Amino acid sequence: MIQFDQVTKRYPGGNEALKNLSFSIETGEMVFLAGPSGAGKSTLLKLIAGIERATQGGVLVNGQNLTRMRGNQICFVRQHIGMVFQDHKILFDRNVFDNVMLPLDIIGFDRRDAARRVRAALDKVGLLGREKSMPIRLSGGEQQRLCIARAVVHRPSILLADEPSANLDRAYALDIMELFKSFHQVGATVVISAHDETLMEDYGRRIIRLREGQFAA
Amino acid sequence: MRHFFYLHAQSARSALIKILRQPFGSLLNLLMLSVALALPLSLFLAVASLQDWAGRLTATPQITLYMEQSAEAADISAVNTTLHKHPEVQSFVFISKGQALKEMETKNGLQGLSDGLGGNPLPDAFVVTPTTLDPHELDMLQKELSGLPMVESAQFDASWAKRLFALISLGHQLTWFLAGVLGAALVLVTHNTIRMQILARRDEIEVTKLIGAPDSFIRRPFMYHALWQGLVAALIAWGLTCWLALAANPAISEFARLYNEQVSLRMLRPTELAAFIAGSALLAMIGARMAADHHLRRVGPR
Repeated sequence: MIQFDQVTKRYPGGNEALKNLSFSIETGEMVFLAGPSGAGKSTLLKLIAGIERATQGGVLVNGQNLTRMRGNQICFVRQHIGMVFQDHKILFDRNVFDNVMLPLDIIGFDRRDAARRVRAALDKVGLLGREKSMPIRLSGGEQQRLCIARAVVHRPSILLADEPSANLDRAYALDIMELFKSFHQVGATVVISAHDETLMEDYGRRIIRLREGQFAA
Repeated sequence: MRHFFYLHAQSARSALIKILRQPFGSLLNLLMLSVALALPLSLFLAVASLQDWAGRLTATPQITLYMEQSAEAADISAVNTTLHKHPEVQSFVFISKGQALKEMETKNGLQGLSDGLGGNPLPDAFVVTPTTLDPHELDMLQKELSGLPMVESAQFDASWAKRLFALISLGHQLTWFLAGVLGAALVLVTHNTIRMQILARRDEIEVTKLIGAPDSFIRRPFMYHALWQGLVAALIAWGLTCWLALAANPAISEFARLYNEQVSLRMLRPTELAAFIAGSALLAMIGARMAADHHLRRVGPR
């Protein structure tokens, strides 16, 4: 499903975020990405989503090599990916419902089915009663869950979450982890990054540990 | 497919609402665009009116064909048939040598001239009115006609036709020059408006792009905005020229009456209006496309 083949990512200015990294994630697997800030976790997720391009090596997602893809083709790969962004990237000019509707609009979903799907996704994250609210009225945790609803509403085959439990108290963070687990159980490939390993260990899943762009021992 | 149309209808509608929601800002922009459009349009109409008038002139250039003295009835009827069939000949009259002599005698009081000359020195002649005003085509026609069998020469007075034609073609060139320059201005102004809008909606573009929107999805609302802008600006420009024509026509007819002519600025024909509106919308969309592509390149994967 996801395959990294000797991937190096160097940012302008010479900072190497990832150094010659090779690994693969199977279809339907749930994997944690661990490591301190600046270890390259975000970069790794961005490479999978085609937001960044690898400087060297190949990134294969669903059998397609993202490093060779032109800008306007990557969007079709992204349509099969749900991404929970570290900074949420919620649109504050529209209500909760319309925020979650956006991915369905993009892939061209029938309007009535789409509305049902949006409500189902909001129900799943516990925001069904807030669909008409503007995002600015939501708490930090609610915004986080709105972002998750938007990432899963189109039922992507890959779900990426960049530090979804950051800035949340432990009970709340566990709730969110349970959410991801339930998406994994319906067949999605899930990759979650976090700097706090204690949350991951309870799940007994594979953990990829990064340190300064390489696998940590 | 339904979704495709839905998206287009949705973008068209929301773009229109966006324009109507800021009536003042939109109006200023639209007026600027429509003035830029109205200038070449008015000039176009002025030149077209002049051309219409020139086409209606009674004193269109005529070519006179002089037959050889030895031409016989069969030769004359051969030329007659050729002229009948010729696509560039609007009409012609035949003046026989006898007719010409009689006319000359009565007009100039020279009765008995042919007796004194011991014969009729005048040739048979055709006076041809061509369909074209183009001096080049007239030259061609003249050459062609003078080459007909038993035709001695073909003459016409081209100088005034050349002058009129040069004036009209100058007007045409000026029109196209203005249309080109102001069309470019239209592209640039829409480019700028759309760029401002893109900057105002930068977050939205970034997020939609991140969650998998193709460029066409991101571009669509802006293209529709430009489309509306182009359409409305063209309509306003058309209104302006209609107003100009209505206001100026009495004075123009008054002036023309002094010369016993009937001249007036004409309005756009329906096909011309359609082409004008379509062209304006197209130019606006080119501007929008340029602005959108420029921005999309910057938010692409690095």
